Amino acid sequence: MNLTENLQMAIKTLSANRLRSLLTMLGIIIGNASVISMVALGQGAQRFTQERLESFGPNQLTIFARGTGEFGASEDAAEITLADVDAIEQQATAVQEIAPQIASAQQFTYGTRSRQNQVLGTTPGMLYVRSLQVEHGRFLNPTDTEQNAQVIVLGSAIARELFRDQSPLGQPLQVGDFSFQVVGVMAPKGSLFGVNYDEAAYVPITTMAYQISGRRSPNGIPIDYLEISARDADSIRAAAFQISNILTRRHGQQDFAIFANKSFQDLVAQITGGLSLVLAAIAGISLLVGGIGVMNIMLVSVTERTHEIGLRKAIGATQRAILTQFLIEAIILSVAGGVIGIGVGSGGAFLIGLFSPVKPGISINAVMLATGVSGTIGLVFGVVPARQAAKLDPIVALRS
Amino acid sequence: MALIQISQITKTYGIGDLRVDALAGVSFSVDAGDYCAIMGASGSGKSTLMNIIGCLDRPSMGHYRLDDVAVDQLPDDQLAHIRNRKIGFVFQQFHLLPQLTALENVMLPMVYAGVSPQERHQRAEAALVRVGLAQRLHNRPRQLSGGQQQRVAIARAIVNNPVLLLADEPTGALDSQTTQEILAIFGSLNASGMTVVMVTHEVEVAHNTRRVIWFRDGKIMHSALTPEELSSVVMNTDQ
Repeated sequence: MNLTENLQMAIKTLSANRLRSLLTMLGIIIGNASVISMVALGQGAQRFTQERLESFGPNQLTIFARGTGEFGASEDAAEITLADVDAIEQQATAVQEIAPQIASAQQFTYGTRSRQNQVLGTTPGMLYVRSLQVEHGRFLNPTDTEQNAQVIVLGSAIARELFRDQSPLGQPLQVGDFSFQVVGVMAPKGSLFGVNYDEAAYVPITTMAYQISGRRSPNGIPIDYLEISARDADSIRAAAFQISNILTRRHGQQDFAIFANKSFQDLVAQITGGLSLVLAAIAGISLLVGGIGVMNIMLVSVTERTHEIGLRKAIGATQRAILTQFLIEAIILSVAGGVIGIGVGSGGAFLIGLFSPVKPGISINAVMLATGVSGTIGLVFGVVPARQAAKLDPIVALRS
Repeated sequence: MALIQISQITKTYGIGDLRVDALAGVSFSVDAGDYCAIMGASGSGKSTLMNIIGCLDRPSMGHYRLDDVAVDQLPDDQLAHIRNRKIGFVFQQFHLLPQLTALENVMLPMVYAGVSPQERHQRAEAALVRVGLAQRLHNRPRQLSGGQQQRVAIARAIVNNPVLLLADEPTGALDSQTTQEILAIFGSLNASGMTVVMVTHEVEVAHNTRRVIWFRDGKIMHSALTPEELSSVVMNTDQ
C-alpha cells in the first residue's frame, strides 16, 4: 500500500465520520488560528509602532542638560546654551540638522478667539529633524532667526481652532504680550507619546529668547533641549560621540544626556517582539491541547474499530501497515485542522486590519511553521493510538 | 501431498496450576480440494484450531505445514503474508468495512498484496460476479442484506486466489434460505478445486461437506466422519 492509497483510505475513513473528524480538528483549528492571528497582529503592531517612530525623525538625537526635565530646572542645574548649539553646528560633522528648543506656555489670541498654548522657539532645522511638512506658506527661515522676526508657524489643529475657515497666512496673532505674523501652517502629523504635533506653534529661537521667555544665565542663553538629526542611520553614533565631546570640552564635565530615537525604536521593537512571542506561546499551548484532543479521539477510534483492525490483520495487513494507516489519519486530521486554522486566523487578522490602524502581517514563515507544527503534533500524538492499533491481536479484535 | 498437515499440536493457555490445554495433541491432514467441517461443542477447542489453521495464532507445540510451508513458528509479519496469499477468511459476522463499497471491500486483500489498482478492480469485480453480486458493486454493506454481505465477504476471501478457504460459522447469522444459497457458493467453489474448511455447529450445514472432524475436550474424536456417520455421533453426544 503506497502513500497515495493510504491517504485515500484515510480520507475515506475520516469523511465517513465527518462530524467527529471536524470536532477532532477543532482543537487544532483553534490553536492554529490563534497562533497565526496572534503572530500577525504582533507583527502588525510592531511594524505600526516602528513606522510611527520612523515618521518622527528616524536618525534623531535629543540632548538634555542634566537636572532639567519635566519637573523644571533646579537652581544649580546644568545648562545647554545657544553658544553650545553654535559650537555643535560648526564642529559636529556627523550632524545634518540642528533644532534647539525653548518652550513657553502663552495666551494665543486672534480676534475674539483665545487659547492657552505652548509656543516653541526653534530654528529652521526643526523641519528636517522632526520630518515635518508645511501645508501652507513657509517654515521659519534663517533670516527670521537673524532678525528676531516676529513670525509664527502654526500646527494644523491650532490653526484651525483659531482661524476656522479663514486663511491664517499673513494674519496677526497675539502671543502673550507680542504680536506675531502667521507665515505658515504645518501639515497634520499626529501625536507621539502624548505630544500633539498639530498643536505646536513655532517661532524663531532668537525671538523666543530675547522677547518671550527672556531667560538669561551666567553661561548665556539657556535652551530647554536640543534635537538634532544625524546624516544617516550609520552616523547616529558618531554624532552622539561628537556632540558629547564638544559639550564635555565646553562644560568641563559631562552634565548632559544624549538620547537616540533609534535606541528607543530598538527598545520598542524588543518589547513588541517579546510580546508577540508571548502571545504566540500562549496560543501554542492551545495547539498542544488540540494535539491531545487528536490523540484522545484516535484512541477512541482504535477501540471502536477493533473489528476493522482485526479484519485487516486477518486478510494480511502487517503491523506496520496498521500503524501507518492510523498515523496517517492522525496527521491528516492535524494538517487539515492546521490549514483550516491558518485560513481562519488569517481571515480574522485581515478583518481586524480592516477596522484598526494596525495592519496585521501574515508571514509565510508563520504559516509554514504552523503547518509543520500541526503535522508534527499529528505524528507525535498519533503514535500512541497507532501503536495500540498495530499491536492488537487479530483473534481478540475479531471476537470482541 | 496434503494441503494442511497438522501433527501433535497442543495449545496451552495460562501457566502453572491454571494451565488449560485448549488443544491436547491434535493430528490430522486435509488434502487439497477437500471440503470439511470442524464440529464440536463450545470449548471443545475447535475455535483454537481454526485460529491456528488460519495462521492467526501459533501452536504451543507441534507442527503445522500449510501448502508445504512450515508455518507454526513464523514471525507475525510472515504470518500476515501467508494469510494474505494462501488463506481466505469468511466470518459469521461478515466483517465488512462499513465505509467502503462492496467492490472496495473485495479489493482490500489485494491492497495489502500490492496488486496494481487496475488489476484490483478487475479481479474484485470478477469475484463479485462469481458470487452473484454483479449488480451490487457500488453498494455499501448497510445497503445489502445479510446474505449479500456474506457473498461480498466470500468474494473478498477468494479474490487473492487462496489455497484454502476458511469459514467460521459462515451461516450462523443467516436464515435457512440464505444459508442454502451461501452453501451453494461454497459447494461450487469446492467443485472448482478450492479447499474449504468450515467450523459449524449446524448438522445440516455439515451435511453439505464431504468430511467432518469432530472435536471434544481439545482432542479429535473422529477425524473423517461421512455425513451419514455424523447423525449417529450427534445422537450420542450431549450437544
